[in-house]
Amino acid sequence: MKLIRVNMGSKTIAVEDVPKDYSGLGGRGLTAFMINAEVPPKCDPLGPDNKLVIAPGLLSGTSLPNTSRISIGAKSPLTGGIKESNAGGTVAAALGRLGITAVVIEGQAANSELSLLRIDQAGEASLVAAENYKEMRTYAFLEKMLEVYGKKNSVLCIGPAGEYRLSAASIQSSDADGRPCRAAGRGGLGAVMGAKGLKALVVEQGGNSADAIADPDVFKEATKAFTKAVKAHPEPGQLMPNLGTAALVAPLNSMGAFPCFNARKGVMDGWEKISGEAMAELIKERGGKTTHMGCAQCIVHCSNEFVDKDGKYVTGALEYETIWAMGGMTGIDDLDTIARLDYLCDNIGVDTMSTGVAVAVAMDAGYKEFGDRAAAIEMVEEIGKGTEFGKILGNGPAAVGKHFNHDRVPVVKGQAIAGYDPRAMLGNGVTFATSPMGADHTAGNVIGLCLQGKLDPLQAEGAVEISRNLQIAMAAFDCTGQCFMATVAAFDPEPGEAFRKLLSAKLGTQLGPEDFPGAMGVRVLKAEREFNKKAGFTNQDDRLPKFFYEEPLPPHNTVFTISDEEIDRTFDL
Amino acid sequence: MKVRVKLYGMLSLRVPGYHHSQGIEIELPEAATVKDLLDHLKISESQGAVVTIDGRIQKAGDKIPEGVHARVFQSVGGG
Repeated sequence: MKLIRVNMGSKTIAVEDVPKDYSGLGGRGLTAFMINAEVPPKCDPLGPDNKLVIAPGLLSGTSLPNTSRISIGAKSPLTGGIKESNAGGTVAAALGRLGITAVVIEGQAANSELSLLRIDQAGEASLVAAENYKEMRTYAFLEKMLEVYGKKNSVLCIGPAGEYRLSAASIQSSDADGRPCRAAGRGGLGAVMGAKGLKALVVEQGGNSADAIADPDVFKEATKAFTKAVKAHPEPGQLMPNLGTAALVAPLNSMGAFPCFNARKGVMDGWEKISGEAMAELIKERGGKTTHMGCAQCIVHCSNEFVDKDGKYVTGALEYETIWAMGGMTGIDDLDTIARLDYLCDNIGVDTMSTGVAVAVAMDAGYKEFGDRAAAIEMVEEIGKGTEFGKILGNGPAAVGKHFNHDRVPVVKGQAIAGYDPRAMLGNGVTFATSPMGADHTAGNVIGLCLQGKLDPLQAEGAVEISRNLQIAMAAFDCTGQCFMATVAAFDPEPGEAFRKLLSAKLGTQLGPEDFPGAMGVRVLKAEREFNKKAGFTNQDDRLPKFFYEEPLPPHNTVFTISDEEIDRTFDL
Repeated sequence: MKVRVKLYGMLSLRVPGYHHSQGIEIELPEAATVKDLLDHLKISESQGAVVTIDGRIQKAGDKIPEGVHARVFQSVGGG
């Protein structure tokens, strides 16, 4: 249980025990509490007072599968509020096995100096000059890192977009094969890392100084029960290993809730060409991988490897939100183009969702035609080249809307929505409006409950309550480092109890349902909302863009109908 | 009555010779419900099956109008 604090200005590293105020916290919970306590709320997100907190979850580094999600937090340059973005890969497990609760990047390097932070198998941290890697794209950088430090290393890094400090810049995370194709994409955390002068965190795998488990026997037994439930569940057990999250393209279009052509329509003509089913068929035909282990200790294997017609790797884990943003929103019904755009974003280090929506806003404003494949690729390439327009695009959809004086910009608190139109899935509209993160599907996605018939996607009734409960649950699970694909199983009573049991055994406490996810989630959300309030946010920031209230979405021709008063009751906690 | 059905996720593997471009046509009694449709396809709701018709998610007891196109999915919790 130690914190590694790195001051980029003085180039000093301090290792300390986790202070009492932060004990029992991990992942998103820890980033929320640290940022709320230590970052001045009105500071410049790209200045020396902001802090970048990199925290594995409470269960990362244990034997529980699917617990290698890394939470990264800071004040966001995109939203101006608190941010936690989490990513898969291998780094969370590597840090967990070293008993490192968080790495905190503070201060700012002088004269735009670039360094990387190396942590070896003994847990020793050191700063290394990284001037030679300036503006290097992430795939080439990863190859270089694994060449220099060896294959058994986990890397978090930024690409040129982070170094340019663009508001949609991501932090890329290396997957199980050492490719930088997992991303903490949301909220421009890559820009914070770039502003600090940090190119990468490189962590040696195979540490054996993980924090002790309070009750190893109970942990082992409950882990076995929970793992069995994950394997038996139809979603992580069958659907995800075969289609991945791209399985969502079909239901979303069939519900009329797939925002496309910059959210002008809810069903995309030609969506069957970019569905999960079509992608799996294409990948199989070409000899790629429809299922793939992307993250440490994964038993779900929702990842894939998309290959071109010659069978050559194009990109890894082409997922629903990217297919939606780069395909649906831009009107591009071609998987090869979408895969190329995904690769470019990972390589340049920008969020595929913000970038796809930014391209769509530019197209909606008349800059290019919807569906123009070459134009979309050229636009994203401009981000990597650092051209004037590339910098506007890399600052996200709101910056593009401002540039073109175009007001159809689907963002909340500056962050792009995800692939669920609030007019045809009101519950996700509540989540987008009220999440302290800005529009964020991972904060509390109601799609599962809609498909299970527990929430009518087109009705306001129940939407606020369900969004609230899901946001509380997700805030709690985001503390554990567990991937959502496995968390799905924990929503059933018996596996949910097994999960609480193993978490209790890890922490040495007895958690009841009121403690987890309940109290833990509320605690995290309160800290996040407190920070945002101090940063100047009010209820007026918990609103969707005007066009969602006024412009009916075909085919249901509905608008978002939940009143401001009801929205403001979401967090009567 | 005849109902045209398209299957998504892993459900198509249950029907030998299924071609997605055409889907399948099945014969159901008049006033058949969504549950009847799933029973006919030997898909249980516990497998997370979801049926949509005309852009709407159907409940197990909903009656299926004649001549419609139905889509059957597996439930997904998020992306």
